[in-house]
Amino acid sequence: MKVAVFWGCCIQANQYAYEMSLRETLPKFDIDLVDLRETFCCGDPVKSMNEFAATFLAARILALTHLTGLNNLLVPCNRCHFTISEAQDTIKKNPKIAKKVLGLLKEEGLEYNPNIKVWHTIDLLHDLVGLEKIKNAIKNPLKRVKIASHVGCQIIRYSDLGRVDNAENPKKFDELIAALGAESVEYPEKLDCCGAALNRSHPDSALSLAGSKLKAVQNLNVGGMVVSCPDCQLMFDAKQKEAGTTVGAKLSVPVVYYTQLLGLALGIDQKKLGLHLNQSPAEELVARIHG
Amino acid sequence: MAKIGVYVCHCGLNIASVVDVEKVAEYAKTLPNVATAKHYTYMCSELGQKLIQKDIKTHKLDRIVIATCSPRMHEETFRKAVAEAGLNPYLAEIVNLREHVSWPHAHEPEKATEKAKALVRMGVARAQLLEPLEKHKVTVEKRVLVIGGGIAGIQASLDLANAGFKVYLVEKSPSIGGRMAQLDKTFPTLDCSACILTPKMVDVAKHENITLLTNAEVTGVNGFVGNYEVSILKKPRYIDEKKCVGCELCIKVCPVKVPDKFNENLIERRAVYIYSSHAVPKIAVISPEHCLRLKLDKDVCGKCQAACEAKAVDFKQKPEVVNVKVGGIIVAVGSEVFDATRMAELGYGRFKNVISNMEFERISDASGPTGGKIHSPKDGKTPKTIVFIQCVGSRDKRFHEYCCRVGCMVTLKQAILAREKIHENIRIYVCYIDLRAFGKGYDEFYTRAREMDIDFVAGVPSEIHEKADGSLYFDVYDKSTNKLVQINPDLVVLGTGLVPNRDLEKISALLHASRSSDGFLLEAHPKLRPLESAVAGVFLAGACQGPKDIPDTVAQASGAAAKAIDLLSTGEIEIEPLKAVIDKDLCSGCRICESICPFVAIEMKTEKVKGEEKLRAEVIEAVCQGCGACSSACPTSAIKIQQYGNRQILTQVDAGLAEACTEGGK
Amino acid sequence: MAKPNLESRKKILAKLKGKGLVNCFQCMKCTSGCTALKLLELKPNEIVKLVNLGFVDELPNSDIIWTCATCLKCVERCPQKASPYHIIMALRNLAVEKEAKVPEGFLKAVSQILETGLAEPPQKIVTRKMETVDRECLNLPKIRLPKESFQAALMKAMEEK
Repeated sequence: MKVAVFWGCCIQANQYAYEMSLRETLPKFDIDLVDLRETFCCGDPVKSMNEFAATFLAARILALTHLTGLNNLLVPCNRCHFTISEAQDTIKKNPKIAKKVLGLLKEEGLEYNPNIKVWHTIDLLHDLVGLEKIKNAIKNPLKRVKIASHVGCQIIRYSDLGRVDNAENPKKFDELIAALGAESVEYPEKLDCCGAALNRSHPDSALSLAGSKLKAVQNLNVGGMVVSCPDCQLMFDAKQKEAGTTVGAKLSVPVVYYTQLLGLALGIDQKKLGLHLNQSPAEELVARIHG
Repeated sequence: MAKIGVYVCHCGLNIASVVDVEKVAEYAKTLPNVATAKHYTYMCSELGQKLIQKDIKTHKLDRIVIATCSPRMHEETFRKAVAEAGLNPYLAEIVNLREHVSWPHAHEPEKATEKAKALVRMGVARAQLLEPLEKHKVTVEKRVLVIGGGIAGIQASLDLANAGFKVYLVEKSPSIGGRMAQLDKTFPTLDCSACILTPKMVDVAKHENITLLTNAEVTGVNGFVGNYEVSILKKPRYIDEKKCVGCELCIKVCPVKVPDKFNENLIERRAVYIYSSHAVPKIAVISPEHCLRLKLDKDVCGKCQAACEAKAVDFKQKPEVVNVKVGGIIVAVGSEVFDATRMAELGYGRFKNVISNMEFERISDASGPTGGKIHSPKDGKTPKTIVFIQCVGSRDKRFHEYCCRVGCMVTLKQAILAREKIHENIRIYVCYIDLRAFGKGYDEFYTRAREMDIDFVAGVPSEIHEKADGSLYFDVYDKSTNKLVQINPDLVVLGTGLVPNRDLEKISALLHASRSSDGFLLEAHPKLRPLESAVAGVFLAGACQGPKDIPDTVAQASGAAAKAIDLLSTGEIEIEPLKAVIDKDLCSGCRICESICPFVAIEMKTEKVKGEEKLRAEVIEAVCQGCGACSSACPTSAIKIQQYGNRQILTQVDAGLAEACTEGGK
Repeated sequence: MAKPNLESRKKILAKLKGKGLVNCFQCMKCTSGCTALKLLELKPNEIVKLVNLGFVDELPNSDIIWTCATCLKCVERCPQKASPYHIIMALRNLAVEKEAKVPEGFLKAVSQILETGLAEPPQKIVTRKMETVDRECLNLPKIRLPKESFQAALMKAMEEK
């Protein structure tokens, strides 16, 4: 099945492992990713400057999706998914804004399609592909290794907008992890925020939030932490050392993308999944799985 | 030739400040068959009425048109006045110059006056075709059905029974007592709930005028006000009521354990059980979905039957249908408690030490699962820090928008009880949004709580967490001190609100009684008629109409009983004649009217027509509401609504268009 | 004595277009669970009340509106469906309009987007084994930058109030 894909800035600028692991794993479930004609920011940082411009950018993504002729768009980043979902909602409910946005798109010869279903990695795998298919495709089950899942904020909130999973009790991500043969544990800080949104204004506070969560996860003595958003991965993986310094703790927590874990379970080569790019000690988690 | 009197009311300034009432009266004089036309400040006053009565005699008037406020206000008044002067009351017609003219068109006085003239013209035209009608009397049953055996149903039943009325009190559970039986103490007096309730329960059981049907449900209601036919299903107890003495030997030997609903599932009961410690009637009952013998339909177990010395166990007992005739119905089915698992962030259902206020009540009760000792459910120890959190499920657009009315007082009571029962110096917090202590003695009760060192935090937490060692913690922001308070509670009591009983959907359908947008039963008028539904003969009492405390429930129950007595005390009621009548000669028996009638007021009767048996439609006058649906649907024009026949309506239309404005379409 | 400015309040309400701000009854649920409270002293309930009463003018100039971590917990749990998050976004937009102090990070991001389409350029990554890699050597497809018309369209969009 062909699915259009929008990567956003973070994945294309430095979170390469997410793109690599998605491109490696999805074809195993007959999903062919189709890139859009152009790539640009979804509007997330623009939102704080001018909400209308952010709505426009998100609408432009959907207009470019329309050009591919496909009605399904995968948006692997939590924040991009939220921005595009809110834009869809605004255009549906606010005719004044809709008119202006569509007018701007028309000037570029672009047409807005309101019927595009916007997916995230989690619901694409859980609802579209399905747990059974995933379980049946597993070659190396993950030996009941314990995992702390971090589903993120903007993918489960706010419920009224219609998100990918239940806001207080999100189970889909845990079920996806369980489908690989691992065990997702409950912990009080599970729904705490990674702090990425504060990087542009209060970077120390961002690191502090990430560091606090990592500290709590470290105390759980699990095999590692799994995320589904490039911003969260940036905080917990790439900035793990800095975060540790900020909260005064020596942090050594393997943090990987779900799709990297999925790839391992499917028997795909580590390098192809970008596991050498993780800044956290991902090899420890791999050793626990393969060992 | 009719002789019409037209009276235009000023209604003080209500009509006169917009409509030129003098002009309208002058105009009326020019209309055909109008013998006299006057205007006056308050037509409904004694002087106004006397004016009409005098004119009837002087001018020998035989039709009256009163141009005034809505007929809903004074139609009865004017009908009585006209009747006193010797004229048939249905020969008086009201034209609405207030709700239809002066109020909606307050900013266009000239156009309003023209409209008033047009409406009076139409009223005068119709008046000539009015027919004299009589109210009919229907005998009524001096018996009342009370659905629900909580304090509301109990109070209403006793009031009715003491007034000489026969009462059928139907209760779904095996015992009466309802919510109040589950309470430990009641606010603000801290009376022992069972102590004030059980005497009334016993009175109900002993009263010769009350037939108590427990473990029973109302399954069908037919008929109309004063003459309801009700079917009641008595579910089998599988215990012979006449033989059981309540000795509880059967309970001791039953091997099946199930959650005990009366104790909020905090302990278990057996498949054969007595509903509660103060049950009335004190007769055992077997739940068929749990009992091994009944569930599996096999000859297994039977230990209770073997143990029973009175030989009261009867596995072959069948459900029984009881049919009764009653004149009125009081609905007193109560409410339920909000299921706090829906507010997942507070951890109810996940953390053992987070409980609901009903669960606290059972824990606090000496006849409850802990013998009245306040323990943390997780380890059974005395809590060192107890927190009450208000407004769980209430005042919340995600769940129920209304305020549950009792939450604050329940928490104050429980906090005070905790302070009194636990002799160590523990910390007790109440996290609230607004503290509502509105009733008699209620604010004094709040003062008492504060004087007992109970800490009130002005703010509610966002989420509750459990540490690895199983202890709870959360942060709450107090807006008075601007401090983020961190609390480590051993027991969290959620102030869960009252929510509509899930049976209300069934009850609403059975009785055609509407519900308001909050899900509770709808009263006929929120201010002036809070004790009855819009359906004649159906009255409301207690929390089924809206969340309320015990004093308000008892007041409403007695009020509903009084309303029922008022309706039925003379043994007959009067029916308005403005109903559908069917000309049997024109009726073809097609049954379209029967299928369309929303009140089930038409029945088909077999009649001999030219020697053959044919079906003909007949109106049940007492049920018919005169809505007109049947009349418009009838293909042979056999149905007329009294006083609203085709001619009577079309005359008005013609009169209305007679001086139509040529500038139409604005 | 603080005097409210109802004109500024009207402006914010117009920006919110139907998202209920006025319903807040100060239950403190948002602030009790606010991700940014402990580190940055952000009190969503206070922001909502200040705007409600018309004390809007001091907010676009303050740093507090830039402390929100956009976790959306306040939007999710508010019992009155008020939305401190959306109010804060509207205040940020107002700050930009008024040319008040805006954090460098945002200004940089926006100028990058106007120039190249992306908020930051593709970077070289150093692996745990101290190797330097980029998109090309990882065999990732080339980034398709936006057409020329993109910049003009976005600039036009940013002029909308």
